[in-house]
Amino acid sequence: MVRLPPKGREPNMATVLEKSTKERLLSVVDDLEVLSRELIEMLALSRSQKLPQPGEDTQILELLVQRDREFLQLMEVAQQQGKVHQEMQLLEKEVEKRDSDIQQLQKQLKEAEHILATAVYQAKEKLKSIDKARKGSISSEEIIKYAHRISASNAVCAPLNWVPGDPRRPYPTDLEMRSGMLGHMANLPTNGVNGHLPGDALAAGRLPDVLTPHYPWQSSDVSVGMLPPHHGNDFGLEPPGHNKENEDDVEAMSTDSSSSSSDSD
Amino acid sequence: MAMAASQPREEKESEDCSLLPLVHDIIKCMDKDSQDVHQELAKLKAKIQEARELISNMPGVDSSPPEQQQQLATLREQVQTKNQLLQKYKSLCMFDVPKAS
Repeated sequence: MVRLPPKGREPNMATVLEKSTKERLLSVVDDLEVLSRELIEMLALSRSQKLPQPGEDTQILELLVQRDREFLQLMEVAQQQGKVHQEMQLLEKEVEKRDSDIQQLQKQLKEAEHILATAVYQAKEKLKSIDKARKGSISSEEIIKYAHRISASNAVCAPLNWVPGDPRRPYPTDLEMRSGMLGHMANLPTNGVNGHLPGDALAAGRLPDVLTPHYPWQSSDVSVGMLPPHHGNDFGLEPPGHNKENEDDVEAMSTDSSSSSSDSD
Repeated sequence: MAMAASQPREEKESEDCSLLPLVHDIIKCMDKDSQDVHQELAKLKAKIQEARELISNMPGVDSSPPEQQQQLATLREQVQTKNQLLQKYKSLCMFDVPKAS
């Protein structure tokens, strides 16, 4: 009795298609092993018992030959599949490479999008600034005029002919303060301050007019309209020696025995 | 020429896989009552085991030929699609920068 694996009928095409080549090959090898063992055992038994078999050995032999042929055909198919597998591996590598190229391109596009978005945002901000500036625009002539006004008193920059030792300052000096309304109201005794003697001396009537110190605001070159809002004028600042009241006050102060004379240079 | 040379080599390799010559040798030894029967039987067993190992290590046999062909077609289509996509994005129209007047 031939003991073969349960394979009563030929498998249909669908079953054959579903099974992989490896499974079919292993199945055929198992069949070959079983058939060859059966054949050898049968031959050994028939020789020992010296009984003729009813052609069963022929049947087994035919099956064996058939399975062997099938095995060889499947091996050829397996070799072809091996070559196809190599081609598939090459294609898979190419797919991986393309994937990495696509990812790289995606990264670059994202970067470009970010840069463009930033540029667009900044451009929009600039347009807003331009629009805002246009709404509050003033003529350049007015700006230049104002610049002249605020810089005419030399508070922004020293005069071109200013040298060290020049008594002129960009801020109200001691003399100017005392000559103003506050100075008159306080009625403080004049102490000689270094660098301001000429004005005091003139106020006391000790110096002639030719030695009158000339202050920038006394310059006739500057037009009246261009002068800044001079606080000296607000406080009634006048060049020393030109106001008789100042002279009287100074004289009154200077006649005081307790008052100290102003220092001379 | 190379194809013709490789074909007979493949046929020879296929014939080497056949187990029939070994079975024939065993039967001949049995007929002669030779002591080499056991040796031949061992050879057959070894050959069968060798065939099993060879089949287990063969690449590309985990699927049937139609399935493998389908997988191959899918891979080829993937490669083609990705190539077209890359070509499309690389050849996008660039921005026209107006020349400063």
